[in-house]
Amino acid sequence: MRGLFLGILYGVGIRSFLKVIVGVKYLNREALKKEKQFIIVSNHNSHIDTLAIMGALPIGQVQHVHPIAAGDYFGSSKFKAGITQLFTNAILIRRSKNTEAPNPIELMSAAITKGESLILFPEGSRGTPGKMQEFKKGIGILLQMHPELFFIPIYMKGMGKVLPKGERLLVPFDTYVHFGNPRKCKATEVETIVKEIEEAILELN
Amino acid sequence: MNIFTSKIYLDNVEVIAIIVIIISVLVFASTLFYVWGLLKPTADLKELKTRTNSWWAMAALIILTSLVHPALSFIAFGLLSFVALRELASISKNVRDEDRRVIIWCYLAIPIQYFIAYKGWFNIFVIFIPVFMFVWIPFMLVIRGATTEIGRSMSVLPTQLMLTVFSLSHLAYLLSLPNLEGFHAGGRGLLLFVVFLTEINDVFQFIWGKLFGKNKILPKISPNKTWEGFIGGILSTTILAYFLRFLTPFTGIEALIIGFCIANAGFVGDIIISAVKRDIGIKDTGLLIPGHGGILDRIDSLSLSAPTFFYIVYNLYYAG
Repeated sequence: MRGLFLGILYGVGIRSFLKVIVGVKYLNREALKKEKQFIIVSNHNSHIDTLAIMGALPIGQVQHVHPIAAGDYFGSSKFKAGITQLFTNAILIRRSKNTEAPNPIELMSAAITKGESLILFPEGSRGTPGKMQEFKKGIGILLQMHPELFFIPIYMKGMGKVLPKGERLLVPFDTYVHFGNPRKCKATEVETIVKEIEEAILELN
Repeated sequence: MNIFTSKIYLDNVEVIAIIVIIISVLVFASTLFYVWGLLKPTADLKELKTRTNSWWAMAALIILTSLVHPALSFIAFGLLSFVALRELASISKNVRDEDRRVIIWCYLAIPIQYFIAYKGWFNIFVIFIPVFMFVWIPFMLVIRGATTEIGRSMSVLPTQLMLTVFSLSHLAYLLSLPNLEGFHAGGRGLLLFVVFLTEINDVFQFIWGKLFGKNKILPKISPNKTWEGFIGGILSTTILAYFLRFLTPFTGIEALIIGFCIANAGFVGDIIISAVKRDIGIKDTGLLIPGHGGILDRIDSLSLSAPTFFYIVYNLYYAG
C-alpha cells in the first residue's frame, strides 16, 4: 500500500511536475533499471535534488530507495521528522558526534544488508551552486564494507538556481540530471573509494 | 460572433484540406529522409530529421487540441510559450542571481496573456506585455533593491517576454477572431496558413541554400545562410501563399504580398534568435545538453512571422 502510494506520488505526480513545470531533463535514466540494489551518489545544491532523483526511479522501486537526510535539519521536530519519513522513506542520520543518535554508518549498512537502496549526497550539505565541496568519508567506509554493492553516480546541473539554499520560492529553470551507469568500486581504501566516486560524478558534467 | 460558437470545427472543407496536406507533406518528408539516410548513410540529415519531428509535434498539437476543445489550443500555446521562456531565461547570461524572483512575474504573465487572447480583448491584448509588463518588471526589479547592472535586467527580461510570449500569443489570438461573412476557414485556417508557410519557408531556404548557395548573407550570425537560399525561399513561399489563399479571405494579390511578408519576417525572427545564441556562445538553444536542440530553435521564425501576419490580417479584415 505504502509502496504504491510512494510509487505513484513520485513516479507520476512529482515526475510530471518536475518535467513540465520545473524543466528537469533526465539523461540516461535507464541506468536506474539495470540493477536491483544500488547506492546513488550525487552532487548536492538544493532540496529539489532528492525529489529529482526520487522522481526518476521506476515506480516499483521507490519504496526500496531511501534518501539519507540530516537528522538535525529534517528531524529537528517530531512533526518534521514524521513528514519527512512519511513522504520520502528517508533515513535520518546525525551529522555531529555529540548526540546519542545511532552511528550513521551502521544505520546505512543495516539498510543495505536488508537489500534496500540508498541515496547519498557525499558533500554533506547543499553548498554553493555550481561548486562541488569536498566529499565526506562516509561513502568510502560504506562501500568498503559492501564491496559488492553497485553505485550509480549522478551529476545535476541548475538545481541551485531553481531552489537555492535559503530560498523558499521555486522558480522554473531548465536543469538536467545525468545518470551514470551502475558500477562497483575498484578501489579498496576509504580515501581512494571517495576519490573514485568523486571522479565518476564529475565525469558526467 | 466568436468562432467557438460553431460546434463542429471540421465542417469546413478548407481546414480538412490543409490538415490532409500537412500530414501528407510530413509523411513524405519523414519517408524521404528515412530512405535518403538508408541510401546514403554519410549524409548529415540530423537537422532535417529533428525539424521534421518537431513539425509532427506542432501539427499534432494544433490539430488535436482543436478537435478536442478550442480552449485547449490556448493552453497548448501557453505551454509552448512557457517552455520557450524558461529555456531563454535558463541560457541567458544577462540575468543576475537577484532576478530569480522577478522571473516568476514573467512566467505569471503567460496565463494572463493567453486568457486575454482567449477572451478576445484586443485592446488589452496589444498593451499588456509591451506596455504594462515593460513597466511592471522594472518596478519589481527596483523594489528588490539591487541596483548594480539593473538596467540590463530591465531590458532583458521584458524582451524575453516579447520574444517568447507576446509573439506566440498572436497565433492563439487568431482563433479568437470573429467570423467573417463568406469566409469559412476562420481563425483556424489563418493559423494553419501562417504556421505552415513559416515552417515551409525554413525548408525552402534550406533546400535552395543547399542546391545553389554561394554567397553568405550574414556570415557572422548564421554561417549557413546564403543569399541564394534567402531569395529562393522567399520566392517559393510567396508563390505557395498564392495557392493556399483558400484558407484565408485574401485576394490573389494580397496573398502574394502577405506570403512575401511572412517569409521575410520568418527569416528575421530566425536570425534574431541566432544572434542571441551567438551572444550567449552556444549553437543550439538546448544548451544544457549538448547536441539537443531546444524549443527556441523550433519557434524562432514563428516568433516574428506570427505578429507580422496577425497585424496585417487584423488591419485588413477585422479592424473597425
